Amino acid sequence: MGNYLSIPILALAAVLQATFVPQIRLLGGGPDLVFLIVLAWSINIRLEGGVTWAFVGGVLQDLFSAAPTGTSAVGLIMIVFAVNQLARQVQRVGIILLLGLALFGTLFQQLMMIVLLALLGFNVDLIGDLSDVVLPTMLYNLVLILPVYWLIRRIQRRFATDSRFFV
Amino acid sequence: MRRLRSNPLVFLLVSLFTCFGLMFLSQSGILTPVEDLASIPLNVMSGFFNRIALSVSGGVTDLTELQNLRQRNAELEEALAQFQSELVELREIASDYNRLAELLDYTTSKANQEFVTADVISVDESNLLRTITINRGARDGISVGMPVVTGQGLVGRILNVSANASRVLLITSRDSAVSARLQSTRVEGSVQGQTAGNLRMTMIPLGQPLTVGDLVITSGLGGNFPPDVVIGIVTSARQFEFELFQEAEVSSLINFDTLEFVLVMTSFEPVDLSIFEQQTSETPGN
Repeated sequence: MGNYLSIPILALAAVLQATFVPQIRLLGGGPDLVFLIVLAWSINIRLEGGVTWAFVGGVLQDLFSAAPTGTSAVGLIMIVFAVNQLARQVQRVGIILLLGLALFGTLFQQLMMIVLLALLGFNVDLIGDLSDVVLPTMLYNLVLILPVYWLIRRIQRRFATDSRFFV
Repeated sequence: MRRLRSNPLVFLLVSLFTCFGLMFLSQSGILTPVEDLASIPLNVMSGFFNRIALSVSGGVTDLTELQNLRQRNAELEEALAQFQSELVELREIASDYNRLAELLDYTTSKANQEFVTADVISVDESNLLRTITINRGARDGISVGMPVVTGQGLVGRILNVSANASRVLLITSRDSAVSARLQSTRVEGSVQGQTAGNLRMTMIPLGQPLTVGDLVITSGLGGNFPPDVVIGIVTSARQFEFELFQEAEVSSLINFDTLEFVLVMTSFEPVDLSIFEQQTSETPGN
């Protein structure tokens, strides 16, 4: 059930990302809703479910961008793996860890996108992208991870059957 | 599949391989039809949400604009108030300029006279004694009895003098009497102030023609005022059979209520005739 939910939820997130987020951009960066949802979903779910959400989210995000399909998914899948490994080490995910995951996960995802885009032949201005896009996005994601996590947990408790802790 | 899931590293590599494969297919254009198909519902959704986003953003922008407009409006109102204040000040300056120009014309036409320009600093127009106070006094060479004029004619004469101010008795005062003559007929009389603040020319001999509109000027008799200073114009005349003289109502050209500047004729020295009156009274047999 949880995997099927990924399509409408992440599609809505990708659409909101493409419509509402440009209205609230800080410099060139805005909240990365797909990333936040994938991150929040993967924390309390089995690896397969998290990877599915990362893959679907990445593909949907790329459908709205000039990047080839799958570019965004690479970073997201790697983050889901890292989160899964980390979640195995801790009993409970606290707020500090959540904020840290949002902060460093955003940094990793954005850097991965920059690297992949550079490899695919897109023009990349590393310093400019870091200061104008990555930093504002990190800031937004740091603020939004808590409400997004709260919302995703409610959805998971109601619909997810493959939760690690709430089966 | 179960084996694949049991080894996370392999699962990661397979997932990443799938992503890179997708990227390759997408980059090479093979996936384009599938992407176009998948984009259709997403584009419909994004079109709907984009309209909402733009209207929300427009609303926020309008609110910001409203705030800016309010601030701009406040600034403009402040500027308007300042300009209005400046306009009033400039109009006042223009008005002063016109009056001073008239005074200058007058002094230029009286080249043989010396004048001191003075501001009217207070007005005491009670019915008992109509006077004004000017901001020039003994330090400016002003002395009692000096005539005070404007470009429109005679104002009065200096009544009291202090160091830096003087009081002027207006010709409209009941205590004021000025020897006058009609400019056209040279008929002489005396212009006296009345209780109501108007002027009346009395002591006009019977049988002399009086015409409304005649200019009344000072005659210079008595030595209190120089001759040929305009007092006013005749507005009406009357003659009673049982009286020895006729009278005429005279209207000054000056609006005494709005006097702001006057000229004091400092070169004119009033003649003191009181010495002759004393000698006359001391003469034996009188």
